[in-house]
Amino acid sequence: MRGFSNRTAIGLKRYSFVIIPLIICYVSLIIPFAAYMRHKPLVEKLGYFPRVEVMQLVSADQKQLVGAALVMKVLMYYGGLVENNQAKLAVPPDYPAMSRIIHAAVKLDPYNMDAYYFAQSILVWDVRQLKIANDLLEYGMKYRTWDWYLPFFAGFNYAYFLKDYQHAAKYYMQAGKLTGQPLFVTLAGRYLHEAGETGLAISYLSTMAKGARNAAIKETYTVRLHALQAVRSIESARDAYRQTFGHLPASLEELMQEGYLKELPKDPYGGRFYMEPDGKVETTSKFAFGKKGE
Amino acid sequence: MRLKDRTKGALTIFNIVQVTLKGIFRDRVFHGIIMVALVIPLVPVISQLSMRQVTELSITLALSLISFIMLLLAVFLGGTSIWKDMERRYTFSVLSLPLNRTSYLLGRFAGIALFMLLTALLLGCVALATVWFVSGGYPPDRPVAWMNIAFAVFFDALKYILLVAIAVLFSTISTSFFLPIFGTISIFLVGNATQQVYEYVNSPAGQTLPLFARKCATGLYYILPNFSAFDLKVNAVYGLPLTFDGIALTLGYVFVYTLIVLSIAATLFARREMK
Repeated sequence: MRGFSNRTAIGLKRYSFVIIPLIICYVSLIIPFAAYMRHKPLVEKLGYFPRVEVMQLVSADQKQLVGAALVMKVLMYYGGLVENNQAKLAVPPDYPAMSRIIHAAVKLDPYNMDAYYFAQSILVWDVRQLKIANDLLEYGMKYRTWDWYLPFFAGFNYAYFLKDYQHAAKYYMQAGKLTGQPLFVTLAGRYLHEAGETGLAISYLSTMAKGARNAAIKETYTVRLHALQAVRSIESARDAYRQTFGHLPASLEELMQEGYLKELPKDPYGGRFYMEPDGKVETTSKFAFGKKGE
Repeated sequence: MRLKDRTKGALTIFNIVQVTLKGIFRDRVFHGIIMVALVIPLVPVISQLSMRQVTELSITLALSLISFIMLLLAVFLGGTSIWKDMERRYTFSVLSLPLNRTSYLLGRFAGIALFMLLTALLLGCVALATVWFVSGGYPPDRPVAWMNIAFAVFFDALKYILLVAIAVLFSTISTSFFLPIFGTISIFLVGNATQQVYEYVNSPAGQTLPLFARKCATGLYYILPNFSAFDLKVNAVYGLPLTFDGIALTLGYVFVYTLIVLSIAATLFARREMK
């Protein structure tokens, strides 16, 4: 043992003139290298992915693992964007690439719930690719036959975005049958027409935010939920005004002057709320970061 | 007289099995591979990255790791065991004993196969404990299918025992370790893909392929080992029901296929010239 350490010491001494400059070179390289990696364009970070058929063949008996890894990759990428900008997506995420990878993940493991949940989160709100989102949910329902979340998502997409209440009711019924919860049956019937879309969205977002374990996802849901709650408070003030005066207020300022609204709620996306001539409450941010003044 | 010979044969197979097991436990490659198992305690930490299926992800990770460890063991132990004996000229001294080559070969195979089952048992218990731990903190939407997890590990072990038989077959015709190691890895990849290729070839999209290629693919599908049948991970992770027919057919398949591979290996080994 002593012989070994002696030899090591002699070896170190002999080669120190090579090793020490190399270590200095390494240290002087690693700092700019790390900086380069940090500032590498985010799209590049998502990387290149081979065709799904190739992945299916190469992943052998590890399809579930590769599927989960793909979802994680997209989640980390998106999470990184959200965290860097504190939930304000200054750099537009590469949505087509994210969608491609999620689709590849469910081809590898059609049961992966993370993939459907994440796809619903980004495809629907951020890019409004409802056809793609609903097709993906349909695909998932063929496999996850016990899962009420998928028809619940689909029902919401049809009701809120597509205003297709017939389809929405069908999916809410399906979700109701799977859970046995009366909430969905109510959603399928009366609620869809009566609650209006803000109420519908609030109930959906609270369900989604409650189950969200990932900080980045939870943050995006919470912000949206706050925005919609603000819209709802304005809407109820507007409805109270209309009941008294028999017509819509001219502006939100009028609502405040008449005492129906104490103050104008803040838009968490940084925009300003206003009222369309038909009474619809809108915001200049369009419920997204970075779209102010468009 | 004949009966006596047979008893002797059985005894010597048993001895070879013993020697093989002892050899594996002393092997450095084995120690290295088992080190990979130390990653299992990380499973609960990594599975927290999941948004909606923490327990499911922990099952996926544990089963994937077990499968990977057993793949390494099957390839290295199956591919190097006989080659190493020949390299060290150990076979000469063994085969000069009153023991035929077939018994030697079968003894080696049985030793490794037994070892694979022991490893599966040990790692399977660790995996079950890990999943139990995770499911306590993050109860899944559907109850964990414990039996399915046990079945998944057991069928993984069977799959790798078949792979060991294939590695032994390659060892009997090769003079170096290249063919046993890389040949076995290739068969592993091909065996996992055959089902998919077969389904593609017989799908409407596959009809555009030339007829000859389709026939070849179908022929190879029936000849090459089909490892997809042993992959019960989906059933284990998402609690999908297992069918009795599927289990029974797969057990029959692995039994017959392994015996065929071993008989070919024994035939080739008996005729091999050893210098």
